[in-house]
Amino acid sequence: MKTKSTLLPFLLVLFFLGLFSSCQDEITTTYTYRTMMPVYLEMSDVRARLITTEPAQPLDNPGKIYIYGDYLFVNEPTKGIHILDNTKPSNPINLRFIPIEGNVDLAVNNNILYADNYVDLLAFDLSNMGDIRLIKRVENVFTHLYRHDTGQIITFKDSVVVTDGNGWRGEGWLMRSDMSFAANFSAAAKSYGTGGSMARFTLMNDHLYAVDESTMRVFDVTKAEDPKFVKPVDLGWGIETIFPFQNKLFIGSNRGMHIYDASTPSSPTRMSVFEHVMACDPVVVNEDHAFVTLRTGNTCWNGINELQVVDIKNPYQPKLKKAYPMLNPHGLGLAGDFLYVAEGQHGLKSFNVSDVMAIDKNQLEFLTSMKSVDLIPGPKSLIVIGPDGVCQYDYSKPNQLKKLSCIQVTNPVIIN
Amino acid sequence: MKFRFIYLFIGLYFSCVKGLAQEKLYFSQTELGFLYGRGMENWEGKREERMDFTFQTFHGARFTPKQVIGFSVGLDQYQDISLLPIALGYRGFIGKEGKPQIFGGLDLGGGSAVLEKKQEDEWSKSWYEGGIMFSPMAGFKLPSRKGKTALSFTFAYKRQEFSYFQGYFERGNVRPFTTSLLPPGYNSVTETAFLYHSFVFRMGLMF
Repeated sequence: MKTKSTLLPFLLVLFFLGLFSSCQDEITTTYTYRTMMPVYLEMSDVRARLITTEPAQPLDNPGKIYIYGDYLFVNEPTKGIHILDNTKPSNPINLRFIPIEGNVDLAVNNNILYADNYVDLLAFDLSNMGDIRLIKRVENVFTHLYRHDTGQIITFKDSVVVTDGNGWRGEGWLMRSDMSFAANFSAAAKSYGTGGSMARFTLMNDHLYAVDESTMRVFDVTKAEDPKFVKPVDLGWGIETIFPFQNKLFIGSNRGMHIYDASTPSSPTRMSVFEHVMACDPVVVNEDHAFVTLRTGNTCWNGINELQVVDIKNPYQPKLKKAYPMLNPHGLGLAGDFLYVAEGQHGLKSFNVSDVMAIDKNQLEFLTSMKSVDLIPGPKSLIVIGPDGVCQYDYSKPNQLKKLSCIQVTNPVIIN
Repeated sequence: MKFRFIYLFIGLYFSCVKGLAQEKLYFSQTELGFLYGRGMENWEGKREERMDFTFQTFHGARFTPKQVIGFSVGLDQYQDISLLPIALGYRGFIGKEGKPQIFGGLDLGGGSAVLEKKQEDEWSKSWYEGGIMFSPMAGFKLPSRKGKTALSFTFAYKRQEFSYFQGYFERGNVRPFTTSLLPPGYNSVTETAFLYHSFVFRMGLMF
């Protein structure tokens, strides 16, 4: 009797076996991807919002860094600007935050901070750091953001989307999300530090030059508090960085380096284009040479990782003098005869470049632990941007960098 | 609490060794066989069938004369994918000692994908992750004349989950916001989740 009662469950199990074995395998695909979701804004609404400084906020995902006197201005792409007191580079103090929607770049001139606010250029008075005020708004200058003439702009918001679907459909979306990234967020995403070599706003001879993907916009800031839009200059596609030097503008694009004569500051004219294969390339310049890095691994990959030295004694005919193989060079900075190259995840290199034909033989240091994407040789310290945040180094001995401090970043750069 | 389990395990282990020598506390079952399953319908309305190798070895201790708890490990092949199932298990027997018996059992655990290699290149990375495994079973035990060993035939259902991930890295210097939906450094991840229902037949030896 007892055996029968225990037999029953087993028969039940067998019955379920039969049931289950008749069902088929289930395969489900989910595709999770980052993308930029479009957001439509009326500029009239944006302009109606008051911009007032806020207490210090932690650095989340810093973009451009600008050094102005004892202060560091750190852009939080599309959100605003942090102001830090950098009197002591070993202990920078986060002071306050100016929330500016759509802001990706900035520059400071004569106590006036210039910043973009979607399609407008704003000017803030910094003469009293405790009371920063918006004093001027130049409307409708960065018109590439306009969707149409009605005053509505299109901007994009970071999103992560999860979909059910097949792989092939996923690939299609992936391409699209990348394209939107490249087209719309490039200004924010690529301008790592500036004042450094990946700048997009730059000041020279009382003029502010702002470059976007294809256009340079010139502002007259002779009266610092009253910037005036002068004109746009068409540059061609793929513009990424701008570097001013001795009345010339060196503009890095993904196809080469443009040299513009800005001796008439309001109307820069093209002197020459030094073309090379497709690559993304920051530029730094001294009297005789331009230093350009090409690298793989970003939106314009091509298999080349190089530091190129270009002879620019005759700016109408730049010539490649020598190219040095690199590992994965990102930003670079020049301080006198010393060149610092951010090698991405490989670290940071320093060179003495007094002999441009033998840069490889004059490598001073290769700090493999200092993963970095950009750097700015400032008056007090070398500012290095990398996965550890925003770090400052004493480089008074160029061949022996000494760490001073690191500003923690909640969402640091990821280098692949 | 944690230690209690360790003591229990050690106790169990020694009791097994002791059992081997004296009272047959220790029980083992090692079997080979096949997994059979039917794939999803494709666009033509046809389905693929799969028939693959399976191996399992179960080790446990008798807590009553006819009931055993223990653990099992093995190797399951699902087309190109090899999983290592690791599970806690139960076996119960009906019938007289020394005569053919019917048994039933249950394994509950997971299938590990450690045997599957991760693939990575400049732009992407792909890998497998194992998942939950659940397998009720029933079978026959045919003891040998001399007593200690027995032939076993097992029919089972096996439900195995696992996933294939293919992720594309963020390209360039993009510093995206962090999200719990994607691992850091990835622009996209495609997860293909497999839920395989298999009919299993195995045969082997019991001690």
